[in-house]
Order: sequence, then C-alpha cells, then structure tokens
Amino acid sequence: MTRAATQPAGRPIPRRDGAPRLTRVVPLHWMLLLPALAVIGILLLYPLLRVLLLSFQDYGLDNVISGEPDFNGIDNYVQLLTDPYLWRIALPNTAVFAVVAVGGTVAFGTLVAVLLRSLGRVARTIVLSCVMVAWAMPAVSGTYVWIWIFDVDNGLARQLLGAVGLIGPEGFNWFTERLSFYAIVTLNVIHHGFPFVAVTVLAGLLTIPREYYEAALLDGATAWQRFWHVTVPTIRPVFAVVTILSTIWDFKVFAQVYLMPGGSGTNPEVLNFGTWSYIRSFARQDYGLGSAIAVLLTLILLAITVIYLRSLFKDEEFE
Amino acid sequence: MARKHALSVVAPGAALTLALSGCGLGQEDSFDVWIMEGTNPDATGYFEDIADQFEQETGVEVSIEFREWGDAHDQFVTAMAGDTAPDVAEVGTTWTPEFAAAGGLVDITDQVGDTDRFVDALAEAGQLDGRTYGMPWYAGVRAVVYRTDVFAELGIEEPRDWGELRDAATTIAEERDDMAAFPVAGGATQQMLPFVWGNGGEIATEEDGTWSAGLDSPESREGIEFYTDLALEDGTSTTGATTWDEADLQDNFIDGDVAMMISGSWTPSAILDENPDLEGDISAFPIPGPDGGMSPAFLGGSHLSVMSGADEDLAMTFIELLTEEENLGRWAEESTYFPGVQEQLDTYTESEDPLVRPFAEQMSEGGATVPVSENWGKVEGDETLTTMLQAVLDERATVDEATEEAATAVEETLNEDS
Repeated sequence: MTRAATQPAGRPIPRRDGAPRLTRVVPLHWMLLLPALAVIGILLLYPLLRVLLLSFQDYGLDNVISGEPDFNGIDNYVQLLTDPYLWRIALPNTAVFAVVAVGGTVAFGTLVAVLLRSLGRVARTIVLSCVMVAWAMPAVSGTYVWIWIFDVDNGLARQLLGAVGLIGPEGFNWFTERLSFYAIVTLNVIHHGFPFVAVTVLAGLLTIPREYYEAALLDGATAWQRFWHVTVPTIRPVFAVVTILSTIWDFKVFAQVYLMPGGSGTNPEVLNFGTWSYIRSFARQDYGLGSAIAVLLTLILLAITVIYLRSLFKDEEFE
Repeated sequence: MARKHALSVVAPGAALTLALSGCGLGQEDSFDVWIMEGTNPDATGYFEDIADQFEQETGVEVSIEFREWGDAHDQFVTAMAGDTAPDVAEVGTTWTPEFAAAGGLVDITDQVGDTDRFVDALAEAGQLDGRTYGMPWYAGVRAVVYRTDVFAELGIEEPRDWGELRDAATTIAEERDDMAAFPVAGGATQQMLPFVWGNGGEIATEEDGTWSAGLDSPESREGIEFYTDLALEDGTSTTGATTWDEADLQDNFIDGDVAMMISGSWTPSAILDENPDLEGDISAFPIPGPDGGMSPAFLGGSHLSVMSGADEDLAMTFIELLTEEENLGRWAEESTYFPGVQEQLDTYTESEDPLVRPFAEQMSEGGATVPVSENWGKVEGDETLTTMLQAVLDERATVDEATEEAATAVEETLNEDS
C-alpha cells in the first residue's frame, strides 16, 4: 500500500480529456472479480486465517475478553501431535470411519443409481422421491431417529434382536462401545449421504451411449463385466467427484456424533476430529488447541484431495 | 437456532454502533439486563413490574433481554469480547468465578457487605479470592423424588439412611419388572455427588491456592462404589441408564418407568405438567446420609452480577431492587425456586407441601457447592466426572481406577493458570 502510494504511476493520472485512467490502476478483470473475491474473502479466507492464527496462540476466555493475543509458537501442535489420544482415539475414529462410510455411501449410492436406471418412468419417480426424503432430512432429525431406533431400553433394534434371542433381557448399550457407536454413525451417514451419490451417478449413467453396452453384449460380456469395463471407466470422473466430496463430508462429520449419547464429550472414546475440536475450543475454552485440531483436519483433507486428483489425472493421461 | 443467528447479526451491529457513538455516550442511553429464560415459566409480567419500579426510582428506562440457559455461556463470552455485555446479568453460580477471573464482572464486595444473611453455599460460590462478584439471588437443590403409589403398594417407608435406600430400591427392582427402581444415570453427575459428599468425600480442596483432588480418597471411593453398585450389583438401574443424562432421567420418570430418582426442586411441577396422571402419586424426601441425617446435594442457582463497563451505582440499585424482600419472595413463588436469603428460605422449611418442604430442608441443611475456581468450568467442559461415572457403570474401569484418573485430571485442570 505505502509503496503504491509513493509511486506516481500508481495513481490515476488525469487524461487529456479529463477522465481518470482507472484501467491503468486496477485492470478490468480484477474489477470484475472483486465482488466474488470480497464475498470469498469475508466468508472463507478471513475465518480460515483466523483459525490458523489462533492455532499458534494460547487463547482462552481471558484473551477473548481482553482481546490480547498470547502467541506460543508451535506449542499447540507439539502438544497435539504428542498426545496419544490423537493417535489412539481421534485419528482412527475419524479416518477409519471415513473410509468405511465413504466406501459404503458410494457403493450403496451406485447400486441405487443402477437400479434407478433400469426402472420405468413411474417406478423411477417413486423410488427417487423416497431417496429424496432421506436426503432432505436434516442431519439433526435423522440422528435422533437413529438414536430412537437404537434406544437401549425400548428401541426397535432392541425389540427385534430381543425377539430373536440375540440380546438378553438386560439389553445392550450400543452407545458405550466404540465399535457399535460408530456402526450406528455409519448407518446414519450412509443413509443421509447415499442419495447425493445415487442422483449424481444416475446422471452420469444416463450419458453413456447405449451402443457401448450393445457392443459388450455382442462380445458376450456378463452384467458385472459390463458394469466394470464399460460403466465404471466411462464415468470415472463422476465417481471421483462423489468420492472426494463424500470423503470431505465424512471426515468432518459433527452433528451425527455430537448428538449421540456420549458424543458430546461424556465418552472420550468416541470423539472424532470435529467433536474433539469443538469440545476443546468451546467447552474447555482452549481455542488455540481446538484451532490446531481444525487446522490438522484441513491439512489431512487437502492432502487426500490432492493425491486423489493427481492419480485421477495421471490415469487419464495414459488413456 | 434462529435466535443464535439473529444474535450473530445483531452483535457486530451493536459493536459498530458503540464504536461510532464513541465511548461513554452509548452506555448512558440504555440500561440493559440479561435474565435467563426457563427458570420462571412466564417472567415477562414480573419483569415489566420490576422495570416500572426501577424507572420510578431512578428515572432510567431498563431493557430486559431473556436468554436461554443452554446458549447463555457462549453469549456471555461473545458479548464480553465484543464490549456488548449488559449492565446487570443473571449469572449461573458455577460461571461466576470463571467470568470474574476473566475480568468480565465487577467486584461488588463493599456494596454487598456482610454475606451472612445468604444461604452459605450460594454466597461462597459468588466469591473469588475472598472478593464477591455475584449477589446470591435464588437457587434450587436436588432431593429424592419418588412414586408414593409404588412405595405404598410394596409397603416401603421413606428411607432414612443408605442401607434403607438400597433396601427400598432392591425391593422395587424385585417386585416391579415394569419400572427401573432407582436408575443410576451415567450422564448425570449431580445425582452422584451426594454419595461423595454424604460419605465425607470432596471433589477437591484448596489450600494456599493449590487444589488437591479428593475423588480418590477412601470416603469418596466408598460413596461412589455404593452408588454405582446399585446399578452393577443390586440391579436397581437399567442398561440404558449408563448413557442417560438428567433430562432422560426425568423423561423416563414422566413416562412412569422410574420409581425413585434424585431430581431438582424445580422439577415436580414440570413433571406434573407433562403427566397429570401422576398428581398425588409423587412426593420427595431429602437425600439420606450413610447412617442417617442428610447427604449434601449441589446447590445450583443464580447470582446477580454487575458486568464490567456498567454504570455501577445504577446496576447495584437494580440488583438491590430484585433482591429486596417483597420482589424476591414473589420471584421465588412464581419460579418455584428458593430465595438465596436464609431468613426467607426458613418459611419454606415449615411448608406443609410434600413437594416443597423436603427440598427446602435439603437446601437449608444439605447444600453443597462444587470447587469455587475459575477453572471449574473447564472441568465441566472436559466432562471429567461424567467420564469417570460412565467408565465405572460400563465396567471399563474399577472405581479405584476411574477415580484415580479423574482425580489426576481434576487436580491438573484446577491448578492451571487460566
């Protein structure tokens, strides 16, 4: 700024006809980008930078009130990365869950898409409407429904499994065990996430020319071979998109864990990155460490996305 | 949710107005008070009266805003950070030391004067390093709420010590398959603490500014063991109760699935509202001590505090108006909470109402408070006690292991420099 101000060339120089030469100072394409940049800057970049800055500070309630930052270098990151909790609980709960949930969502979504393609118009509309209901359900309501289904004393799951003799009269508390807790979260997330995959993959499927399948049929390909050798390679970019997006969503899943019994911190065994960061920041007023967790999560997601996109484009170059 | 969004829009706006109008000017214009919502079913009429009285006395118009308990802590923090805090606020007793240490509250030791007239635990909770930051206003306490019809059917008397409590619970557990006798809710630590305090244990004690944890003392461990064994050995609880919080406990009582529970003095009216069929079938008794007497229960309530940056004289006038005998009495009556002034509380201990008197006795004689420290909020945020209780109930740890881990964590957190 100061440099620009001291350079005469940087200022609007009056033209002979008297109009200022704005174009010299701010090129037109930047002017056109400005509104979008301003929105992104305010809504995305500023919070991002703020979290990054906070992660290098020892920031508690007193700092919130005084407004004075208290930089402590990389202490938060050292504390975070040397905490066995990260490696034993939070990372596995986040990463292993995400792998299972993404796999499940994409597989189930694709199956539904294939089903939808083979249906007639009326049947397709009916199934698609049902799928949309699952999609339209807010995560909070959906989570409570799953909690009710698995209610320890009176839930549907208890009654069904009790009726066939799989659970004794004393019942089983799904929410205290890490594995059963995340099994319910996985069901919830797949249920909520598959409609997006189904609709997107269906859109991709409808673009595949029928001739490909006819040619494959003539060659004697089975249904599985047609799917694996025709469908999948043709709409690979569609799979890439749904996989990356699902990965990002499932890594940062929050409400589906936080609202479950024990997920708001009473059972530390079941926290993932999202809930851990939130509880650390807001319940414990340790905003610095909470931000460091959030930054770590962002870095992991960036790395995954970059690796994934690279492998995708590399594959395409070979073809 | 909608309210939260509204706030986030208003807060920067208010900050901007304040910045534009320059310091000092904005504050005299309006006198703001925050009152928590939900304590009193309908506090609007009461506060309209208070506002009138205040305006007559001082000529200043007061604007009263109601805040949900659930969001209030965050809103306080946001407001203190953005210089948009009100002049006077109702502050939850466990928040007072935390906000005071952070510099958000004004020291009102001299204005409040002698605190002997207040209920002890409530006055104690409003102090930090010997200075008063919160004027005791009202409080509630927990006692045992039970089903009189179930007790009558099985010929059970109100228990007077822990042995009788266990006998009553096991009798119900054996005779009534359709209900949980005395659920041990894993997410409700206020229900557990009476068994720690009643047995002579402590969460933590302070000496010369250093806290040492007491959860791993033999007394605490024995108390916690008695309580958790009700679930693990005596079968008075349910499997699901391991992850119940206090609201779940109450909901199940309302549904008629629970015979006996530790519950707040403010809950009987809500329970009867939800399930009028229980009218006449519920009563209460103070939480018994191990060998008779009473086990102390957490005395939770509200202080009135002057927020930093307020007109202190005006703020104190408002606080005195609210805590003046007649207004305080009316508030207690309407909200079904107990006044924080001992003398006024005494009238309740003589009440004939079976849903008032046991609670008043518990509050008067068996009230306790959690460690008064600015770091207590962090212990609560960490859910240290809940984690401990659930680990025992889920049999992931023994009482000795769980209490040792919790004691270490509590001690470490309380001794942190905030």
